[in-house]
Amino acid sequence: MFNHETLDKYSPLENKIFQLIDDDGMPLDKKWKPALSDKQIIQAYKDLLFERTADYMAVSYQRQGRMFTYPPNLGQEAIHIATGMVIKEDDWLVPDFRELGAWLAKGVSMREIFLYFKGNEDGSRFVNAKRMLPVSVPIASQLVHAVGIGYAMNYQKEKAVVFAFVGDGGTSEGDFHEALNFAAVWNVPVVFIVQNNQFAISVPIKTQTKSQNLALKGVAYAIPSVLVDGNDVFAMHEVLAFARDHADSGKGPVLIEARTYRIGAHTTSDDPTKYRTKEEEAAWALKDPLKRLKGYIEAKKLFDTSGEEALVAEYKKKIDKEFEAAEKHPEYPLDDVFKYMYQEMPSELRRQKNAYENYLQNKGGAK
Amino acid sequence: MRYIFKFPDIGEGLEEGKITEWYVEKGQSISAGDALLNMETDKVVTDIPSPKSGIIAQRYGAVGDTVKVGNALVEIEIEGESFEQADELPQATGKGEEVIEEKGFGVVGTMEVAGDGAYLPSSNEGLAAVEHKQAHTRKVLATPVARALAKERGIDINTVQGSGPAGRVTSKDIEKHTQIRSTEQAKSSERKTAYPSDQLHESVPISQIRKTIARNMLRSKQNTAHMSVMEEVEVSELVDARHKINERLKDVKISYLPFIIKAIAIALKNHPVLNAELDMEAERIIYKKYYNIGLAMDTDDGLVVPVIRNADKKSLVQLAKEISVFAEKAKTRKLTLDDMRDGTFTITSYGSIGGYFAVPVINYPQSAIFGIGRIADKPVIKDAAVVPGKVMPISMSVDHRIVDGGEVARFLNEVLEMLKEPMLILAYEGGQDEL
Repeated sequence: MFNHETLDKYSPLENKIFQLIDDDGMPLDKKWKPALSDKQIIQAYKDLLFERTADYMAVSYQRQGRMFTYPPNLGQEAIHIATGMVIKEDDWLVPDFRELGAWLAKGVSMREIFLYFKGNEDGSRFVNAKRMLPVSVPIASQLVHAVGIGYAMNYQKEKAVVFAFVGDGGTSEGDFHEALNFAAVWNVPVVFIVQNNQFAISVPIKTQTKSQNLALKGVAYAIPSVLVDGNDVFAMHEVLAFARDHADSGKGPVLIEARTYRIGAHTTSDDPTKYRTKEEEAAWALKDPLKRLKGYIEAKKLFDTSGEEALVAEYKKKIDKEFEAAEKHPEYPLDDVFKYMYQEMPSELRRQKNAYENYLQNKGGAK
Repeated sequence: MRYIFKFPDIGEGLEEGKITEWYVEKGQSISAGDALLNMETDKVVTDIPSPKSGIIAQRYGAVGDTVKVGNALVEIEIEGESFEQADELPQATGKGEEVIEEKGFGVVGTMEVAGDGAYLPSSNEGLAAVEHKQAHTRKVLATPVARALAKERGIDINTVQGSGPAGRVTSKDIEKHTQIRSTEQAKSSERKTAYPSDQLHESVPISQIRKTIARNMLRSKQNTAHMSVMEEVEVSELVDARHKINERLKDVKISYLPFIIKAIAIALKNHPVLNAELDMEAERIIYKKYYNIGLAMDTDDGLVVPVIRNADKKSLVQLAKEISVFAEKAKTRKLTLDDMRDGTFTITSYGSIGGYFAVPVINYPQSAIFGIGRIADKPVIKDAAVVPGKVMPISMSVDHRIVDGGEVARFLNEVLEMLKEPMLILAYEGGQDEL
């Protein structure tokens, strides 16, 4: 199990990456035993499959014109599933925008997620997910909130941990550095998870930073930091469990660079073939997290994965129902956009509101 | 009941897309989520899945047609619902001229984003009958003065882009429109013949690939100082060498091209300016230390230039294999953007179709292009006697802004020497010795 000694061994300064299974799902160290039970491993597989199916469906709905811009998770799911296994009900989840499996584990419904990507504010009201902030699109701004929450918990002597996500591009933002500095200085219980999927939209990591890895950035702020194979669900689970313990026992923040690859596009408005090579995609396909977890399960004969298609079909039905529910959800009144900022609506805002109402009329009666 | 599926805005503010492939036929039954067609837009090339299960009752647009966001793609007969005639639908596609006209004037209708189909509820809303009605009620907003003015000047007010609140057309817009119209009319009488739409003329919208070719060719001619040089080389030995090699090879046949690529890659190392790019804006020359050779290929759709990467590091056989893969991909339109980028030098072998000499157009911003003419049996003089020979004509264009005449001649001498005596390729391969 990953512990403080392992942490010392995997110094980001030496650019070592913590990994437990190989590309086929075989343990690198024959003596290693997973910290997860067989049942948990099978559940992880099912959750990963569910996330992948939901993600695929979301892209399809978007292409059908039934949903707006959507950022696919394909390829990064191991990080989300591992977070879902470690995070507790009282812990906070501070999302970026590409952690679908972690949101689901926290209790967010697909209906809410679809509502969010259909532009409905109710999609940020997570009825069954306790302690989760809304999706954050302004890059890295959420980390400052995460540290604030951690600071408040310390102040109130509350024992729980904050899990905060950011992407590789986010590490170039000022907010990232301010958050890390205060997190260390204030000793807050925050686990920073940097999903390094190699591209900030189309900007490759090499153009983004001169550091040989992103865990190094935590070292600069004296935060225990580690570089992990983000496509290895076992490695991610061990490191996250360690990080949670560390933060929970009052020792302060941890930073995890989860190295992964975004197989899909940045969003549905992006075409990655314009800035990536086939060779690179093929090399990363060998490290696909689902393939690796399945490899492990099949080798250990934990579960019969031949029924995968049936599982996917079952998930699709479920997801379709959730989407239909989202489509039936009442739209928010136009007034909501304009009326709450000022007690009396200023003339400029009134002009905008009238203009928009005219536009809708002109469009032929859309609500 | 029929459901009309309109082309949704799949990329944040798209206006239109082009159909690249249809996956379904009229009468075919489909399930929700099945891919209907593939479309190319400004942002992505993507499959469009169906939102409904049913039978394809109507398809709009053919491959190559441009479809505006909000226009119909297919009609789906939904199972269990009764049939209803959906006549006079919002027209889908590529009736060439109509579409082009719309683009020119900026119809108010293009403001419509994902159409009313942005939300396609699973209830009966959004079904054919409802859509039909909506398509006819749309009318431009305008001030009464603007309407009167438009009428007076014979302008269809629905074609005027309004600048007032909510796109309202004002008298100012009419004035502006009148001006644009008269300049356009003047322009078109200057350089365009007004072709009637009849049996003697066919108006065809240009393809994406033709647009790209046209833009690139013009850009090259406008931004460089073309200079061309022509030569002939006697290649009997090369013909022999190729023949001998091919006798040995099983799964691939080698053409002259790999030898030429090889010779060029070697000579480029000695003459870096021919593998460079002039960047006037930054006032610098960028020398490229990699040798990616583009090959101009003729296809039914138009000219394409796939690029052989690091040609200097590949064997003749490897080059031959890559060329045949590219030729196949070009023929089946499978070349990707990846296949065609990062070229540093280009070869065109127009002679394989016909022609001795040409003035090839540089593949801007590269600095040179090498053209190969048709090899012919010709009398040559050897040891003071006229003997039959194989003569390969060569035409090369360079950007005279960075490549001086002497330099191109020296480069050409080296290349031709290697083509004349292919053994030399072996001698110089891998090194950087002046020949």
